[in-house]
Amino acid sequence: MKKVKNTIVKYKLFFILAGLAILLLLPLVITKSVYMRHVCNVLIFATLASSLNIINGYSGQMCLGQAGFFAVGAYTCAILTTNYGWSFWVVWPVAGCLAALMGYLVSLPTLRLQGIYLSFVTLGFSEIIRIIAQTWTPVTGGNMGIKGIPFPIIFGKELFKPHDYYYILLATLLLFLFITSRILRSRIGRAWISIREESNAARSLGVEISRYKSMNFTYGAFWAGMIGAAYAPYVNFVDSSQFSLDTGFDALAMVVIGGQGTLIGPIIGSVVVTVLTESLRFLQYWRFVIYALIIIAMMWVRPQGIAGASNSILAGGKIRRSSRKKAISRNR
Amino acid sequence: MEYVVNQIINGICQGAIYALIAIGYSIIVGVVGMVTFTYGEIVMIGAFAAYYTFQLVGTNLVLAILASFAASFIVGGIVYKLCYERFFNSPRHISLLCTIGFSILIKNLAQIIFGPDTKPMINIIENKSYTLEAFGISIVIKQLQIMVLVLVIISSVALTFLFQKTKYGIALRAVSQDKTAAYMVGINVRRTAMVGNCIGCGFGGVAGILLSIYYYSCSPLMGSSFSMKAFSSSVLGGLVDIRMSALGGLCIGIIENMGIMISSATFRDIFAFGFLIIVLIIKPTGFASSGKNRRVKSEKG
Repeated sequence: MKKVKNTIVKYKLFFILAGLAILLLLPLVITKSVYMRHVCNVLIFATLASSLNIINGYSGQMCLGQAGFFAVGAYTCAILTTNYGWSFWVVWPVAGCLAALMGYLVSLPTLRLQGIYLSFVTLGFSEIIRIIAQTWTPVTGGNMGIKGIPFPIIFGKELFKPHDYYYILLATLLLFLFITSRILRSRIGRAWISIREESNAARSLGVEISRYKSMNFTYGAFWAGMIGAAYAPYVNFVDSSQFSLDTGFDALAMVVIGGQGTLIGPIIGSVVVTVLTESLRFLQYWRFVIYALIIIAMMWVRPQGIAGASNSILAGGKIRRSSRKKAISRNR
Repeated sequence: MEYVVNQIINGICQGAIYALIAIGYSIIVGVVGMVTFTYGEIVMIGAFAAYYTFQLVGTNLVLAILASFAASFIVGGIVYKLCYERFFNSPRHISLLCTIGFSILIKNLAQIIFGPDTKPMINIIENKSYTLEAFGISIVIKQLQIMVLVLVIISSVALTFLFQKTKYGIALRAVSQDKTAAYMVGINVRRTAMVGNCIGCGFGGVAGILLSIYYYSCSPLMGSSFSMKAFSSSVLGGLVDIRMSALGGLCIGIIENMGIMISSATFRDIFAFGFLIIVLIIKPTGFASSGKNRRVKSEKG
């Protein structure tokens, strides 16, 4: 195991380039449009889960309402491009910024709220956004949703096939990974992780907790809005049922199954969950039963997720107990 | 004016059911010390237990209440074994995700077993209403509403008796206050937590009957919206404080109906959540006094 890890670390650049080449050439290998749609779904959920991972995995806050930010991005894009004729490339950052603003507003109570109370505020926020989308008919189309969202046009070419749209989604994910990996290595990322590990110690070392938590929320929401804006033209139709709490819970399940607090974890989780639920589609309700059983089994067997490190603070009591035992034996 | 008073009465009645749901929820959160997302599905199981009792045995309300209490009690035991017992010392998100998984499991199993469509509930009480004349306003109260209120009050009194007078109740309160201290005075914390969880779930089941009778229907997907109400009410009451949670439930019921009055029924949930968020921003511990809730607040989420 260690040997494998060492090889990966040694040839890191090679592996990254090989992975990139595979990802870029993937649409040439997969010719069927149906399969390409699944790949696109994986990318969308990978980015959504990663944006949730920023909040839950890196700063240790507990956001359950990521579907709300996703909905803000998707609806902004849908309304501005369909009803006002804006170009997708202008709307995209606007949608991200609007979602980031929402994230900032939701994070303001973090100055006073902690733990589970914060989760409830995010949960309530997500539901409020969904209900507004469902009831504000003149703007959001109500139960009918918004149909016929125009596809983005690049160099005079309309990107409506999943094979072409794949590159937009891939670019979003790669951009996210690049920027986030830079941020995580900067002062901001270290501050987030220190808050997760031990907030009192972080405060005593001069980390302004409320400011960094709020920044973290804003950043996570920004990417959820970006992927939401990319999602709306892809499905060509948005309505409020796509952004129920279950979407947020799915993203949470992906993050935890893949491994919180790692960049690769949510992507693995997204691949596992999407492939599983799509390939078992013929089982109807039973596929969700299997999905649920896998979530529970995963929490029993490997609470840190597939990619998570076993000594992570997110992994649980079993590991901490063993480290304490080590400390005791060392003292003797 | 008449309309306002009648809406308030509707609100009180609906709020009483929410209060019962919230009571069960805050028992669970208090005794187990972890948050559950399975609760809505347990409410649904209570409703279906009553539905099948009515179908098989006939309209016998007492029997139906016992059946749904028992069904929810048993499911509560399973939830405890699967989602809590192993994870007392783990970070909170693990058991939380387990309960989310379990809720998906029950929801879909219920759709397989009971069928996915909404079922009509038998009208167990005749549709009669009383009109009261007071201060020049006529107040209309349905017989159904009186029955629901009476049932809620009976179960709250039974619960108060259990918590204040019996040995079990005292053990439950001790575990809910401080697990380590309860352990030190010789309480079997794990078993007590399990029984407490089951009792909380049982009350959820009873609330499930009342909901299905009140709305004349039950469906496998009814749980999620009511579980949101339960969260909101018990967060309003400071999560572990049972009486304040009941008050929170009443408040949410009244505010929803007042909100419907000034807008349309589709906005119902917005008022509940908006009220919750405003209260949380002003006073993070809800209605409960700040000192009591230090335990919940200081736990790392």
